[in-house]
Amino acid sequence: MMKTMEASAAPAAHDPWYKYGVAVLILEMAIAVAVSAWSLYMTFHGLGGLSGKH
Amino acid sequence: MKTHKVEQLVIATTGFFWCFLMWFATAAFSPSIAANYHLSIKAMGLLASSAIWMAPVGRVAAGWASDRFGAPRTFAFVLGTCGLVSIASAYTVDYRLLFIERVIVAAAGVSFVIGIQHVAQWFKTNEIGTAEGLYAGTGNVGAGAGALLLPRIFGTDYRSAFLWLGVVALGIAVWYLVRGKAAHTAEQRDLVRARSDLRGTLFVWTRYIALALMLAYAMSFGLEIALNAWLPGYFTRGFHGAIVALGFTGVAGIQIAAGTFAAVESFTASLFRPFSGYMSDLFQRKGWTPLPFMARTLPYAPRLHWLGIAVILITMGMTGLTIAGVMGSLHLSVMVLVVLGVFISCGTGGTFALVPLLFPDRPGTASGFIGGVSTAAGIVYPLIFASGADIHMGYLAVALSMFLPFVLFYFWAARYERHPEEHGLLTQVLVIEDAA
Repeated sequence: MMKTMEASAAPAAHDPWYKYGVAVLILEMAIAVAVSAWSLYMTFHGLGGLSGKH
Repeated sequence: MKTHKVEQLVIATTGFFWCFLMWFATAAFSPSIAANYHLSIKAMGLLASSAIWMAPVGRVAAGWASDRFGAPRTFAFVLGTCGLVSIASAYTVDYRLLFIERVIVAAAGVSFVIGIQHVAQWFKTNEIGTAEGLYAGTGNVGAGAGALLLPRIFGTDYRSAFLWLGVVALGIAVWYLVRGKAAHTAEQRDLVRARSDLRGTLFVWTRYIALALMLAYAMSFGLEIALNAWLPGYFTRGFHGAIVALGFTGVAGIQIAAGTFAAVESFTASLFRPFSGYMSDLFQRKGWTPLPFMARTLPYAPRLHWLGIAVILITMGMTGLTIAGVMGSLHLSVMVLVVLGVFISCGTGGTFALVPLLFPDRPGTASGFIGGVSTAAGIVYPLIFASGADIHMGYLAVALSMFLPFVLFYFWAARYERHPEEHGLLTQVLVIEDAA
């Protein structure tokens, strides 16, 4: 992949909060995958499911 | 007052979460309201659609107000107003008055752009994607959480729900006023305030790159809210036999199955949104610019490329949904829908990782335009989905007739290697000397 001059020259320095922010987003993704998988399993087996916002 | 940007992020996210909870509270209790007032199907549909009425114009106004008066005051005003009207609606017995009150409460949905502006005033450019993603993604969950939890907590007693939602909203409004701070520095706050005039607003509205981002958001968030409304009916009609074969019988059973398939898309689209912001940060950090034609030397070019990839993926996902539907495979359709939900989150997160960087002097005005006007797409897509002879072909029709031109326009608008925000309509009239 090509790189922009500005972007590649800039150091990637993050504040301490950033790693906790990334941990939260990983947790949210895990919840999305788990709820989706559970919900689809229930539904495809005729057991009902998570009705979500509907 | 001593504060930290994470505190500001937490305040904005909490306020947004609660606003989304109030926004969709009416929908969560619509069966109870319908039973109480003996509403027809038509009246129920009107009540459901009213939730989105305030969004396009309201978000534009809220974005401008957050630049002008600061996010804490604007957010507190929205929370306070919606909270008070929500409390009033708990004691209302006349249905027409209740309908009007709930439309006003649904204005809480405009709060999205206020928080976007607030977060943009606090976080650095290399972490803006993750910060905005965490704000928007976590806040968005309020809609789903409300639908899941409110009926379980309050049962059919929607009046108590409206009362407590309003009371807590007032508490958050006070918290926002006391602890919220408009910007990291007073200079930044004053600069944004000074740029919030009519000319500045017209300047943003006429920029090609702002129009391109608005269309990208219409392809992502606009599609998300359109699918929320469309998918339960689509699965019920398009896969009736397959759902019955799974063991779901009767109207209620089929509704549960169809609603579950539909909810998976919105749930994934919401909770993967912070990931998209992180990916935008990662593209920026690594300097990835893989797409042709688009700018490569702009300071935020990698973020433009990430969003470019997202809008291509969304178009492909829509095509895949038609293919799966024509094949008659319920399992494949649901799998494509899950993937499409992730692609949509890439678009929503990618768009608002860019907006504050492109218009740093007018983040609220730009957020209001891009996040507001694009919601009108949520009304247009279902009309196209429903217009064809084959219910499965609507996704391909939208992809070819709308998304493909949108993607081409995005690539065209993102090709400038220097100051893309300077290119637009009426530039000579609207240009402000120190805008760049």
